[in-house]
Amino acid sequence: MAAIEFSEETRAQAERIGSADIVVGVSGPVAGDELRTRAETVFGLLGPSFSSLRFVFAWPAAAGEAPAVSLAADQPAALTFFPFSWPGQAGEFWAGVSAHQRAVLALAAQLNARACIVLGPDLAALHPHPLQLFAYAVLERQCGLVMPLYNAGKHDGLLNSGILAPLGRALYGRRIRYPLAFDFAASGAMCARLARLDSHQNNHLASSLLWPVTVAATQSAQSTIGQVHLDVHHQTASTGLDLSAVLAQIVGSLFQEMEACAAHWQRVRGSQPVPVWGAAPAEPAEVQPVDTRPMLDSFLLASRNLDEVWRLVLPPNTLLELRRLTRLAPEAFRMPDELWAGIVYDFALAWRLRTIGRAHLLGALTPLYLGWVASYIREVSGLSHADAELRLEQLSRVWEEKKPYLLSRWRWPDRFNP
Amino acid sequence: MWDHVKQSLQSSMGRAMESLARLLPGILAFIVALLLFLFIGWVLAWVVRRILAAVGFDERMSRSAPTMADWSPRLTPSQLVGRIIFWCFFTAGVMVGVSAFEAGSSENLVSGWILGYVPHIVGAAILLLIGNVLARYVSRSVLIAGVNLNLSYARLLSIGVRWMILVITAAMVLDHLDLGSNIVELGFGILFGGIVLALALAVGLGSRDLVSRSLEREASRVAEEQQPERVHHF
Repeated sequence: MAAIEFSEETRAQAERIGSADIVVGVSGPVAGDELRTRAETVFGLLGPSFSSLRFVFAWPAAAGEAPAVSLAADQPAALTFFPFSWPGQAGEFWAGVSAHQRAVLALAAQLNARACIVLGPDLAALHPHPLQLFAYAVLERQCGLVMPLYNAGKHDGLLNSGILAPLGRALYGRRIRYPLAFDFAASGAMCARLARLDSHQNNHLASSLLWPVTVAATQSAQSTIGQVHLDVHHQTASTGLDLSAVLAQIVGSLFQEMEACAAHWQRVRGSQPVPVWGAAPAEPAEVQPVDTRPMLDSFLLASRNLDEVWRLVLPPNTLLELRRLTRLAPEAFRMPDELWAGIVYDFALAWRLRTIGRAHLLGALTPLYLGWVASYIREVSGLSHADAELRLEQLSRVWEEKKPYLLSRWRWPDRFNP
Repeated sequence: MWDHVKQSLQSSMGRAMESLARLLPGILAFIVALLLFLFIGWVLAWVVRRILAAVGFDERMSRSAPTMADWSPRLTPSQLVGRIIFWCFFTAGVMVGVSAFEAGSSENLVSGWILGYVPHIVGAAILLLIGNVLARYVSRSVLIAGVNLNLSYARLLSIGVRWMILVITAAMVLDHLDLGSNIVELGFGILFGGIVLALALAVGLGSRDLVSRSLEREASRVAEEQQPERVHHF
């Protein structure tokens, strides 16, 4: 395992600070002045129970900005600002976020912090309530890792709802709604584990993402994982990015982790709920209807053209099911949960076996994902937010029930599979 | 008369047996040399694979050359090196075998021609292999990218790219084998020039309306995409 190496300057500044109770780190470059102003306001609103704690606000220093420690102007010495730098390179989209998250966690470990709260670079969660909730879960309830429960709309975070959450839950047995989040908190002990890079991550540093739940579930099975309700809406930095490229980055990394942790998840059966803190925010406003026709068209186009690729990955039964779907009228189009779970499991297996080039494999998954999105949006369009969540719960259960299929194919990939 | 027939049959049989007997040591030497080199190649490939596995060659390669797995998805880099070593020894075995055949049979015309031509064959085989792998990889990339860009003619594009690469490969292979080089050059030039000219004419004259409609559609799609999205994947 390798640890993140900071620059000489940053190490010297960290030694000057010595230690901290809570490190609040930002997982991306931000305007230092704006952060300072907002952090001082938030710190003032945190309440008396936090006044005895030493806070360090850390963020990656912008080019030309020296990693210099400064104290808040109108606050006691308990609030320190620390723009840090490290020689690592941040990749595109989520690879950059993950690299910064690891750096923040490594810094927290170096400062022997009792808790580290990681925030997204848009600072949407930089408010007293989220910080209080995260700190409460880690310091008072001894949680190793605290993940957010965002108040997302029915049509938000669909990659998370359709693949990441159900697959993570089926594999590692923890019911985490957002396994790949901008904001989360970790205990001091967990910070060191999360910041470390395993050998397989070291090998694919540019594409390696940080999956906090996977690390917590596989490397620290005794520690508690919790969730807190956050009424936070992030502005995703995916504008202008190709869906297939982002899907390839995120799902590819998930498959990579899956391969590395196979020995662990093969022993996991079922799933356990995790403790949740905070009051659930009001349901998000009703969303406008979405035209699913373009997604359906993408799926149909792919079914006409990508048959030769899908045939290498999917078993004949699944191909028959997909062919049947293409014959349905658009208004009757529904992708069954079993079929969708089986498709992703088969793609994960093909990733492991290198049945085809991995870039091709993930490219061929994109239209199938769009088919699932079209089906899901049609299904939940008439449902309330709560019912849509229940629908996702049902989907996750199906993924769990289908896990024996994945296990069987993973262990005996050459066995006949109709 | 029958005596003459018998005598000539006996003498031709004798000559045939004699030349067979002259060739037999050469054939035997060829087989022995080939088997020996195959064995050495197999052992050496196995040893190299073990050494590379011990020094973590696969991990290093996957770190420095992540696209290697895309080119050869079923083989790890160490397996690929092992295969290359084995086939190099196979080729060397064939060449040594042919040389041994020459020494054993005292027939130097055939072996001289074969030995001189072997590098051409090996080069052509490598070209053919690379061309095929490239055609398959690029056409699949074009197909998947085209489908993800919602291009209805993605398959056509992919097939076109595949055949373009295969035609170029075939021309290069034939050129490398010194087979009808003038005809190949001429044919390739005419074919390629013809395709480009046909496309230019099709776009410039026949499909002017189609192209303008397609461009208008693309422009309107850009305008549509600028509207706020109601579905968020991330």
